[in-house]
Amino acid sequence: MSFNKFLKILITILFCIFLPLISKAAILYLEPDSGEYYQGDTFIVETKVDTEGECINTVEANLSFPQDILTATDFSQGNSILTLWVKSPTIEQESGLISFAGGIPGGYCGKLPGEPGELDLLGKIIFQAKEVSGEQISAELEFLEGSQVLLNDGFGTPAKLTTKGAVFTVLAERLEIPEDEWKKELEKDNTPPELFKIEVHQEPTIFEGKYFIIFSTTDKQTGIDYYQVKEGKRDWKGIVSPYLLEDQSLKSKILVRAVDKAGNERIVEYLPPRKPFPYWIVLVPIGLIIIGWIIKKLKIKR
Amino acid sequence: MKNVQIYFLLILVILGGFILIFYYAQAQVSGTVNISAQVPSPPSPPPAGGGGVYIPPIETKVIIQGKAYPLISVTVLQDGKVATVTNADSQANFKVEISKITPGVWTFGVWAEDKKGVKSITFSFTTNIISGMITTISGIFLPPTIEIDKTLVQRGEILNILGQTAPQSEVSIIVNSPEEIIKKTKAETDGTWFYDFDTTPLEEGSHTSRAKATSLEGLSSTFSQALGFSVGKGMPGAIQKVDINGDGKINLVDFSILLYNWGIPKNPATDFNDDGKVNLTDFSIMLFYWTG
Repeated sequence: MSFNKFLKILITILFCIFLPLISKAAILYLEPDSGEYYQGDTFIVETKVDTEGECINTVEANLSFPQDILTATDFSQGNSILTLWVKSPTIEQESGLISFAGGIPGGYCGKLPGEPGELDLLGKIIFQAKEVSGEQISAELEFLEGSQVLLNDGFGTPAKLTTKGAVFTVLAERLEIPEDEWKKELEKDNTPPELFKIEVHQEPTIFEGKYFIIFSTTDKQTGIDYYQVKEGKRDWKGIVSPYLLEDQSLKSKILVRAVDKAGNERIVEYLPPRKPFPYWIVLVPIGLIIIGWIIKKLKIKR
Repeated sequence: MKNVQIYFLLILVILGGFILIFYYAQAQVSGTVNISAQVPSPPSPPPAGGGGVYIPPIETKVIIQGKAYPLISVTVLQDGKVATVTNADSQANFKVEISKITPGVWTFGVWAEDKKGVKSITFSFTTNIISGMITTISGIFLPPTIEIDKTLVQRGEILNILGQTAPQSEVSIIVNSPEEIIKKTKAETDGTWFYDFDTTPLEEGSHTSRAKATSLEGLSSTFSQALGFSVGKGMPGAIQKVDINGDGKINLVDFSILLYNWGIPKNPATDFNDDGKVNLTDFSIMLFYWTG
């Protein structure tokens, strides 16, 4: 091997070693990043973040997928590191777009030493492979511009970001019983969402100073599907937090139901504060009787 | 022979590179916080000749322990909500146990208020709680609280920087300027610390100061929040007003108000960075100061 050749190899090795250190950036990626599925199969793609040693607190992800090859049937927030969702996961099947934004109060700095399990999960996308013509076809998923990760530095500084998409192959055949990874997860989940509480608030700057409720919970298995509210005798209806109360007199009992993707539910209630018992109704007549009795006694003495 | 020497030298460089990477990787995970998980001890065997055996349900529990400031209350958050409040002892040690927890990924946060009522930032960590295991998170050391006595100083004037941490910890104070200035001081036995910072080396304009501490046992904290101040002219560079409704907490109520004002703010107080929009940047700033 000539010296020049050796030098080239050396430079390449050093470049490979040191480049990742110089260009340290958060990575948004998909797992798995490849795979083969039959038509009709339902599979799960996890969106994840690698903080690369940075402390982050906010993630916005915008993903594109080929809507003619895959159907995005659902999005699961179960076991996500994101606990507050500023933009709930949205699937736009017609345009082949999935987007969400959420955050971690206090931030997330990656795995701690000794961490026993898998972390870094932002959410799970559930795809179903469509019927395809021809032998097989590739489906490419990629993060779009506008995806961002913000540092937990008190200034909302955007982290340098690298994204890694995924490519799946949809085969022309169809299994007699299509594979369904999501159904298996749903069947395993028999745990209701975490306990939570309803808080009633009134703030001059929102809802024109009217009463509203706030609530938030998580589901560690398949994730929260929806929330419903019931005020007094009114019907259940779908809501998000914050919710402007219909009964501004606060006399109605409020129930909020959190339902996870597997249909397990947790219902919590808020009882309106009771008015104190009107003791004067008892005390005033007793007082009058006592006064009358004293007056009567005084008259008898005279 | 000369070629052999060059090759030898180059191999040394490669080896040096690997050593650097190894060192770098170690530095990334060398935080003092540690997680350990253990299976709870099995129940003791029944006495001979006894009846049926009661096997208690396997416990899933989290233990969080570390250092804050002496004799203050420490708030522990679980997925952003207050889980429990405990007291630190005179040596600033605290310990909490959270039982009946669902297995899965949880984010815990710890913050405290020092003896003057100044809040620390929330120290946060995410872990996977495994069913039937006791997960212990140890080695937490809350960042020091920090205050400055003024936000506008003339160049050369003394800026008093103070706060509280664990007793007799070494406090490093970092003041940003074109070149970062690092000063050190030692906390008193009650954890209070103080530094007279001479602003002569600072240029006119906005600056920030923050602090971190190393305890007597060698635990290292993360940085405190950054406080802004100006030398000569200009406005302080750090954001300090995130509690929108002024109730002393930054929690779901403030988050609700932020969501209500999303986009073009109806309430300017929700636009923390004054860029005319309420967006992800403001959300991120709120999460940094979160108290639950």
